[in-house]
Amino acid sequence: MRMTRSLAVLLALLLFAATAFAEEKRWVSSEGTTLKSEASATSENVADIKVGTEVTVIESGGRWLKVRTSAGKEGWVYAGRVSDTPPAGEVTGDGGLFGATLQQSQINTAKADSARSIRGLSPGTAQYAKDRGTPEMYKKSLDIVLARKVSAKELKAFLKEGHIGEYAQVQGGKK
Amino acid sequence: MRNLLFFVVIALSVSSSPASAGFLDNLLKPDSKEGRILSGATQVISSSKEIDYQTERTIGESLALEGLQRFGNPVKNESLQRYVNLVGAAVAANSKRATIPYQFAVLDSPVQNAFAVPGGVVFVSRALVSILDDEAELAAVLAHEVGHVSAKHALKSTQRAQLFQGVGTITAASVGGKKGKQFASTINDMQGVLFDKGLDKEMEFEADLAAMESTYRTGYDPSAMIRVLEKLQKLEASSKDKKGSWFSTHPPLAERIARLKSQLHKYPDYAAQASVRERFAQHAIVNK
Repeated sequence: MRMTRSLAVLLALLLFAATAFAEEKRWVSSEGTTLKSEASATSENVADIKVGTEVTVIESGGRWLKVRTSAGKEGWVYAGRVSDTPPAGEVTGDGGLFGATLQQSQINTAKADSARSIRGLSPGTAQYAKDRGTPEMYKKSLDIVLARKVSAKELKAFLKEGHIGEYAQVQGGKK
Repeated sequence: MRNLLFFVVIALSVSSSPASAGFLDNLLKPDSKEGRILSGATQVISSSKEIDYQTERTIGESLALEGLQRFGNPVKNESLQRYVNLVGAAVAANSKRATIPYQFAVLDSPVQNAFAVPGGVVFVSRALVSILDDEAELAAVLAHEVGHVSAKHALKSTQRAQLFQGVGTITAASVGGKKGKQFASTINDMQGVLFDKGLDKEMEFEADLAAMESTYRTGYDPSAMIRVLEKLQKLEASSKDKKGSWFSTHPPLAERIARLKSQLHKYPDYAAQASVRERFAQHAIVNK
């Protein structure tokens, strides 16, 4: 009886600890997220962190959060780049092996697709266009649309130039 | 139980991935034996919420081709197209589905409209761009469309598209020839939803909220989404022909605006976020 009660107390404590712990978790949800040495986009880079990475919040300072990764790296991250739930991404799995594997394979597919898009329409679409007799002009137009890409570097420069988000000026960022 | 599910899914994907002609043929017929099996199996597969990304992309690109023919080719202004891609990429990186590639284009259309096809291609008409005043408003429109792609709204809107769940990658071979008819019917159904009927009302609200969320997370003023809808509301009052515009394919603007305003309290510092009026004025030069 006493044993059962101790076990119940222990279980309750564990549950409480797990809940308290869970509240401090955040997940990286934006592509191109970097851990910074200070709460500023111009501070030094500590590490690049991938979408889906779980981090623990240590300190909060306005729109910047000080976090620790499971690998033990600490640094500041712009609050807009993390969310309090794991990113839905391609799979809304619970982060188990099944979910993680599927998500990774989807990311790989997306990457492969990204590389492929230089060559234009996917083979299935090309076949569809052939069967439908889609005028060449529209195929070419879509080819050009699909070939446009924005690199992480270009995106950062663009946000910086516009003083957007983590690149906002201290007094507000309204421009 | 979970292991069992895992094996069922694996078994299904293994058995369906080779493009064995007869199987795939029949799979696309809802009344065939395979079709009936699939309709039962869909329950299992949809629990993983997956339709092969390449298939989604093929469906999306095919729809994009139809969209171009209906609304017009992209505007020939590389600086504008590049700019729209940068704004779009910024909000897409902060969307619920940041891991797929997105492309954005302004179409030479006189109707105020924007639409997205599965897989991540987003179109906005020059007429819609012409009524916007700053980058945050453009970001809101693009983020709304990214929201539809993220939540796979178009795919969820047609019964036929569900048949592509778990059948492996749709290839040129499976799109071509007789099988192409099934594929073409799917594209046709989806055109009806995207271009004529419009997506479900709740999906529009969901995309509006997603737009506020991802613009805010990027650092743009999230109330820009409300401003865009208010502009459309003014236009709607004076416009006779609403066919094909955001007025006709979307739920009542007053309701959308009211719902968004009720959520603005989530972003107490919204007014301090970026609008970027000058850069928008430099790049977004379009005919009305």
